[in-house]
Amino acid sequence: MKSVPKLIRRFVGIMLLSSMLLIILNFALLGIYTLNQSPNSSPWITAQEVADHLSKNENEYVLSEDTALELQNTNVWAILIDNMAMKVVWQTDNLPETVPMSYTISDIASLTRGYIDGYPTFTGEAENGLVVLGYPKESFWKHMWPSWDYNLIANLPKTVLSVLVINIALIFIIYVIANSKLLKSVKPIVSGIQALSTNEEVYIKTSDILQTQSRQLRKRETARTNWIAGVSHDIRTPLSMVMGYAGQLENDVQLSENNRQKAAVIVRQSKRMRNLINDLNLASKLEYNMQPINPERQNLIAVVRQVVVDFINMNIDEKYTIEWQTNETLTSCTANVDKDLIRRAVSNLIQNSMNHNEQGCQIFVRVIAENNVYTVIVSDDGVGATDEQIGKLNNTPHYMVCDEKTTEQRHGLGLLIVKQIIFAHSGKMLIKHSDYGGFEVELSLPMTM
Amino acid sequence: MDFDYLKQKRILLVDDEQELLDMVVSILNEDGFQDIKTAKTVSEAVTVSDTYQPEFAILDVMLPDGNGFDLMERLKKTADYPVLFLTARGEDDDKFRGFGLGADDYMVKPFLPKELLFRVNAILRRSYKAENPLVKLHGSKIDFERAEVLKNGEHISLTAKEHDILAALYRNAGRIVTIDALCEAAWGDNPFGYENSLMAHIRRIREKIEENPSQPVSLITMKGLGYKLVVEGK
Repeated sequence: MKSVPKLIRRFVGIMLLSSMLLIILNFALLGIYTLNQSPNSSPWITAQEVADHLSKNENEYVLSEDTALELQNTNVWAILIDNMAMKVVWQTDNLPETVPMSYTISDIASLTRGYIDGYPTFTGEAENGLVVLGYPKESFWKHMWPSWDYNLIANLPKTVLSVLVINIALIFIIYVIANSKLLKSVKPIVSGIQALSTNEEVYIKTSDILQTQSRQLRKRETARTNWIAGVSHDIRTPLSMVMGYAGQLENDVQLSENNRQKAAVIVRQSKRMRNLINDLNLASKLEYNMQPINPERQNLIAVVRQVVVDFINMNIDEKYTIEWQTNETLTSCTANVDKDLIRRAVSNLIQNSMNHNEQGCQIFVRVIAENNVYTVIVSDDGVGATDEQIGKLNNTPHYMVCDEKTTEQRHGLGLLIVKQIIFAHSGKMLIKHSDYGGFEVELSLPMTM
Repeated sequence: MDFDYLKQKRILLVDDEQELLDMVVSILNEDGFQDIKTAKTVSEAVTVSDTYQPEFAILDVMLPDGNGFDLMERLKKTADYPVLFLTARGEDDDKFRGFGLGADDYMVKPFLPKELLFRVNAILRRSYKAENPLVKLHGSKIDFERAEVLKNGEHISLTAKEHDILAALYRNAGRIVTIDALCEAAWGDNPFGYENSLMAHIRRIREKIEENPSQPVSLITMKGLGYKLVVEGK
């Protein structure tokens, strides 16, 4: 289980990064917001500006026009309190009537810190007095006692940093606790998926019933395959004796022709039984995926050619002739196939042609390479089959793989095995009428597998 | 070609079924094999092997006190002789295991007498070559030992490839050997794309062994499939 720690690492990384970004983003937004909120410079600066632009002409104080206009536009009033007289010696025209005209020192201290009659006030130092700006009510909030412990301010960077770190740590802990619970509940699924990819048995608590069921199904399939393998094994030895002695009798020159014919029938029928046992075993294994497929790079032509040559070398009945029709310019068809299974498929097709044409026939085998597909064609000029039979062979499931009760006439396993083998190689099997008047089976295998 | 010397070989036959033993002995006897000993268990087989010193063994895979594969290993420790497995287990993995350990062939029951005899004779021919066997063809003889052909009193030497190809054909005399099997015999495990070279070699072999190379009677082409060597008296 290496993926869960990996998952946690990734999540924590994302989480830390996102909280950092969030803090930076917050500060940035705050900065932009405050800048937007107060486009004008600080009222303290404005007050100082007013003080600087206030000049004394003879006995009259005059404010420069620009500054006066600015004050007017922002609806701010201003007064100048003389240092000596402690009285208002100059004022703007918009001064509210409630503003007093003379001040004590304590008044000055109070207005510097706070308000005059609810107007937030700001002071600027002029030549002979104090300029006081009064802003509209509720336009500013003033901190009346702005003083902090020195150590507090001195330690502020440290304090902020440690608070930040503690916060991040807290978020991290909360996150880990929350996620470990989630991960714990997800873990079986993750390991299940991982096991799936490595073909191991998958166990998920919630699917216990399903699990048991599929295990039992598997058990039954294995039992069936083993049963078939066992039966076929047990039949082989007695059948050896039947075949062996019948084979000897068939060639015993001391026997009458009639009796030798009888022995020949026993031989022929035991051969059929042998084929049936072999087919039954392989078909059940292929059906329940218990036959390992070992694909290797093979020259398909060589594989098919060997099958044809084996049949010819076996001294098959002279009633049957096999013609190799592969174009001689085609010498190599490289494909990833299980050689033994493909051989089995092709020999089943040749054997099939023989089985269904007891009067004899000519069998044609060819390999074609076209459109990224290799096609092996086995056809004959024998009795063939009707359209209906061919349709059935192409479309109806074999009794062995049919999941319904069937009363159909049962046929051999030869073609079923061919179909299973070709399917296992991602190929296709097509049964049709042969150009020679008989039966034809086309096996198509993809070139790249 | 005379293979009578092969019929003198001492054969050890191991199977737990008495009736099967009787039958195989009768099949072998009928073909001319006379010197056959049988055993029904692994331990019996080991004892017989020690005293009898067989030159060929036919073993069943499933025995009451062990399996044929282990038996073969034990037998081969003392003397190296060819082994043919007879078994009722048709599974492929058994087959591979048998060959991997050095079995010479493998037969799944049931079998016909001629199938058994074909394999027994093939293994013996492969394993016990007659002293300087001269292979008689129509109009010439092949001396594999010296890698030469005797034709019209002339000694014509064979190249290594020609020798390999002829040897492969001779091992299967009278039967078709595929183009692919011949390429493998001459060029080894990855015999792709040697078809044209093979044809050239066949042409040269024919010039050496045939009286009339353009109308061959000993080395016959089976169109598209392979070649067949026709040996006199076979």
